[in-house]
Amino acid sequence: MSYQDYLAARETVTTIGQPVITVILIVSLLLGMVSLYHMVTRDSRAYVLSTQLRKSSTMLLMVGFIIITWFHLRIYQTIELVYPPGLSNYMSANMGISVTSLRFAVPLWIETEKLYFWTLCLSIFLTVIGLQYDFSRTKMTALFSSSLNIMLSIFMVLSYLANPFKEPLPGLHSEITGWYQAASTGDPNILYGALYQLYFRIIYYYNSEYMWTHPPMLFIAYASLVVTFVGCVFMLFRREKIFDRISYNHAKVGYLLLTVGMLIGYPWAVVAWEGKDWWWDPKINGSIMMWVLYSAYLHSRIYLKRHNMWRATAILGIICFLSLVFTYLLTYIAPGIHAISQ
Amino acid sequence: MKLTLKMKPRTYDFYLMLLTSAVLAIIGLVCLYGIGYYTYTTETTPQWTETPLYGIYIDSMNQYIYPFVVLLLVVLGLCIPKRIVPRQSLLASGIGILVVTFLIALVTDIGSSLVFLLAVSIVIQTAVMVLTILGRGGLTYEREGYFVQTGSSMLHLGTVVFVLDFVSFRTSDLHLSIFWVATILITIGTVLSFYPGEAGRVARLLRSGSGSS
Repeated sequence: MSYQDYLAARETVTTIGQPVITVILIVSLLLGMVSLYHMVTRDSRAYVLSTQLRKSSTMLLMVGFIIITWFHLRIYQTIELVYPPGLSNYMSANMGISVTSLRFAVPLWIETEKLYFWTLCLSIFLTVIGLQYDFSRTKMTALFSSSLNIMLSIFMVLSYLANPFKEPLPGLHSEITGWYQAASTGDPNILYGALYQLYFRIIYYYNSEYMWTHPPMLFIAYASLVVTFVGCVFMLFRREKIFDRISYNHAKVGYLLLTVGMLIGYPWAVVAWEGKDWWWDPKINGSIMMWVLYSAYLHSRIYLKRHNMWRATAILGIICFLSLVFTYLLTYIAPGIHAISQ
Repeated sequence: MKLTLKMKPRTYDFYLMLLTSAVLAIIGLVCLYGIGYYTYTTETTPQWTETPLYGIYIDSMNQYIYPFVVLLLVVLGLCIPKRIVPRQSLLASGIGILVVTFLIALVTDIGSSLVFLLAVSIVIQTAVMVLTILGRGGLTYEREGYFVQTGSSMLHLGTVVFVLDFVSFRTSDLHLSIFWVATILITIGTVLSFYPGEAGRVARLLRSGSGSS
């Protein structure tokens, strides 16, 4: 197992993954168009077709996720950082760190894979909802189903644009390549420097329990809250209990995971970002804002039967989702320790 | 299925909920201000987080948030013994606690008054949680059911422990230990509050499992 094997695996991911994501794009466009057509014409054949397309989308997204999982497994198998005795002794004596070798156990939702994972979770939620409810019952619920399909279609197009298969894990790739080049120079100082820096990246980022738990909880929560958002939009137009029930059930899942996900990120941040300026940074502000808004939504929902509270709750649910999207985008548009440029 | 609207007379609980939502929304707005300030200052003064300006920003954000946290504890009724004492005594005890809090804020600062309020809240919420778990009667809850009430009491206690941890123990060695206690209480409390039926089924299953073995 070597760097060349890693490169071959990366090449394979692109070769197999690119056609898969292209088919996902085609299916997503079809899903979006057919669902839109159903919303305009109320043609029941279009509804049936869109349901089939949604099922196909979930299958395709799962195939893509299997490819991603395989690639991560190959990274673990092929790349082993061996710490020379000189460096190992130095780290042991000066920092109390005992390390002789390290492998990358990289989570399945980092870099360009984030949006893909979110989309996969959304498609699974929609599959489960499809099994729980018969949306063909009324025209309004069928329209609701089509709206969910359009949301999925949008997310699939965004996943295509983020494309986890075109340049798989570019950040990690440059770190692995940097290590390989450092090892190739034959200069122990350069190799020691690269291995030393990678130790902290691997322990506190790639292999940390935090990265295996905090982001997926948030992405599953986000996917669940997409359903809440669509339900709230429909609550604005129609006072049907099913829209509130679906919104609330998904808000519960989303809020629980959001709360726990945010909480378990904190002890990690205290250790990994010790001495760094992360307190009240934009992403943290955004996360607290989103959380308090969802808390307000859940509170207002208790009095749904009161005068005007149906509409107020629906509007609050929509504002919550806008804050969610804003918080997600903060990583890309705002400075701070969470910024993608860091 | 159409939802039939049964209009209920507006009780003070309803207005407290509106106030709670408003306070939460204001905390959200303070966070929005923080995002804007941080982003703008980074644009105009790069590396400002390495200057005393960053400390001033942290302090000002804490100062903006604290009054609303106090207000949240009040409107959620976490700092008054609303589940334990009857309504007649509730008003007197509630006003008493708030007056002392206000006096502490006047004499010292809002941070100290918040610590007092949180300490009172923890005592009250611990008592409520213990009494609820033991199944003692006489507690006032809006929702019926053992698991939903236990969940609610754990969630409330976890919330006040969490806030106290951040207000008073951030630099203490106990900080993370207290944080985990709060996290466990909040998590279990949320699960029980959201899924009391499922929790009941699991409990019955466990009971019948241990009974048969």
